[in-house]
Amino acid sequence: MRTETRNEALWKFGAYIFLMVIVVLVLIPLYWMIVAATIPQSEFFSWPPRIIPGLQWFDNFQALQENIDFLNSMWNSIIISVSYTALSLVLCSMAGFAFAKYEFRFKEPLFYFILATLVLPIQLLIIPLFLLMVQIGWTNSYLAVILPWAANPLGIFLMRQNMKAIPDSLLESARMDGATEFQLYYKIALPTMLPSLAALSIILFLNQWQAFLYPLVILQDPQMYTIPLALAELVGQQRVYFDQIMVATSLAVTPIFVVFLTMQQYFIKGILSGSVKQ
Amino acid sequence: MALSAIRSRVRSLEAYQQLSDRVRYTRQDISAGIPEIPWLPYAYISPFFILFGIFLLFPTAYTLYLSFFNYLGVANEVLLSVTMGPVTVSIPQIANLEFVGLSHYERLVFRDGLFHTSLFNTAFIFLVQVPLMVSVGLATAVVLDSKFIRAKGLFRTLIALPVATGLVAYSTIFLLLFNDQAGLINYVLVQLGLSPVAWLGSAWGARMTIVLAVTWRWLGYNMIILLAGLQTVPEQLYEAAEIDGAGRWQKFRYVTLPQIQPVLLFVVVSSTIGTFQIFSEPYIITGGGPSNATITVVQYIYNQAFLQLNLGYASAVSVLLVIIVSAMSIVQIQYGGEE
Repeated sequence: MRTETRNEALWKFGAYIFLMVIVVLVLIPLYWMIVAATIPQSEFFSWPPRIIPGLQWFDNFQALQENIDFLNSMWNSIIISVSYTALSLVLCSMAGFAFAKYEFRFKEPLFYFILATLVLPIQLLIIPLFLLMVQIGWTNSYLAVILPWAANPLGIFLMRQNMKAIPDSLLESARMDGATEFQLYYKIALPTMLPSLAALSIILFLNQWQAFLYPLVILQDPQMYTIPLALAELVGQQRVYFDQIMVATSLAVTPIFVVFLTMQQYFIKGILSGSVKQ
Repeated sequence: MALSAIRSRVRSLEAYQQLSDRVRYTRQDISAGIPEIPWLPYAYISPFFILFGIFLLFPTAYTLYLSFFNYLGVANEVLLSVTMGPVTVSIPQIANLEFVGLSHYERLVFRDGLFHTSLFNTAFIFLVQVPLMVSVGLATAVVLDSKFIRAKGLFRTLIALPVATGLVAYSTIFLLLFNDQAGLINYVLVQLGLSPVAWLGSAWGARMTIVLAVTWRWLGYNMIILLAGLQTVPEQLYEAAEIDGAGRWQKFRYVTLPQIQPVLLFVVVSSTIGTFQIFSEPYIITGGGPSNATITVVQYIYNQAFLQLNLGYASAVSVLLVIIVSAMSIVQIQYGGEE
């Protein structure tokens, strides 16, 4: 009995140590980002390396801004990600509503057809999209980045699954009260769907915020660069300024960290809903 | 007399009531589902399907088509011209192409050494990274799911933090961490009395850097999914196993693993698909080097298509990659999904 409790205590101790190690390994790169963003580059290459953050963040930021217009890239990223999320939410929730609450011809085949395209990887689409955008003269435009994945198969799937839970009687009584069909969508269905909409917007926003390969192909004018493209530009320069890169990286990840920490339940809902494919 | 008249009135009133109820129910039955405006559902789905058709279906089909052609340049000719009264709609040809049949595929499979290298690199990352990440992720999830752990939410939040970092952003951090001269990793190794490793300067070091970076980024993501799976395992199963005298390991092996098998399979399949699409990490951290030791298949597609403008050939690589990944997923589902 005594050895059992001792084993138990050892096990608990070991479990905490294991979790601590994982947490430390996860946090080190983020901590290192803060250190490198707040000290001058010269000190960074000293040996031993500095491991305590400095106060140089703003100076490094100014150097970054003189090197490349990073604020402009942030602005581009915000415009593209916000409009993409808004557009995709409208498209997916409207189509999802129809698939969940109406009967119409070819409903099932159409839906399963969309589901089948969930597995298509992005690199299968990039070459034709590039040719298409060149042909219609849309390279270096916001629209060329916003439109292609707005009709998002995962989005329509999530919306339909969740909208099925809206009771028919609720819609019926709204009809009796004289609501138009369109009001059923935006006055009844949408408000009851807010948690799912929040989860979906986080997935969509994050995907667009960190999108790299497709914007790299489509946006060639530095004025149009999004954050990932600006970062790649910095990494590819003749002389690599780690202090500037880390300032830029900290600016890229901080907004998302804030969203993650404040809206964690929707974040997790989003991750999980993407994983429960039936 | 008066009484029977009232009775018959009441009876007919009841009959009317019943009839009107039935009419109402029938109408409700019909109207639930069937819209009053027949075209309404189509109006709801058409914006989605228009974009879906232009930007998803068409490109997919066109990639397949393109893989049988050589790309010669931008086209100026008109592919299709339809005149409808005063309006003429003309669709320009999308590219100037030359038919080459299956020769792209023949070259890819038998003669393209760099493609084989990229496939090998990607397969290496897959073979090391997925088992490493899934086993550490599962261990973390199981420990975190233990009843005695306090501050579960805090641990989960901290471990899941990398989920919120963009792919290029976290790659730049790893570029810095694994810097051969000034990186923190080599500093720690030296402090521990070990010799520094040429992480980015050697083939195996560079591959391991990519493996560790990807593991860092996706560990928390997979842990969240596995944790959700663990929470669905019924408590009674563990109690029954305890009564049978099962130890900690036996409970894990004979209760937990079989119960979360579908979730585990999902994690493995989606991680497989993910690793075969790696692009940002080698592009930022290693640039595909040293001497193509970390060039991945998607990076090869990018180089062929957009640096050398071999768009037809790159399309063939894309199609082949989709075939390989689908085949692997099917094998995994067949092998891991036995019920």
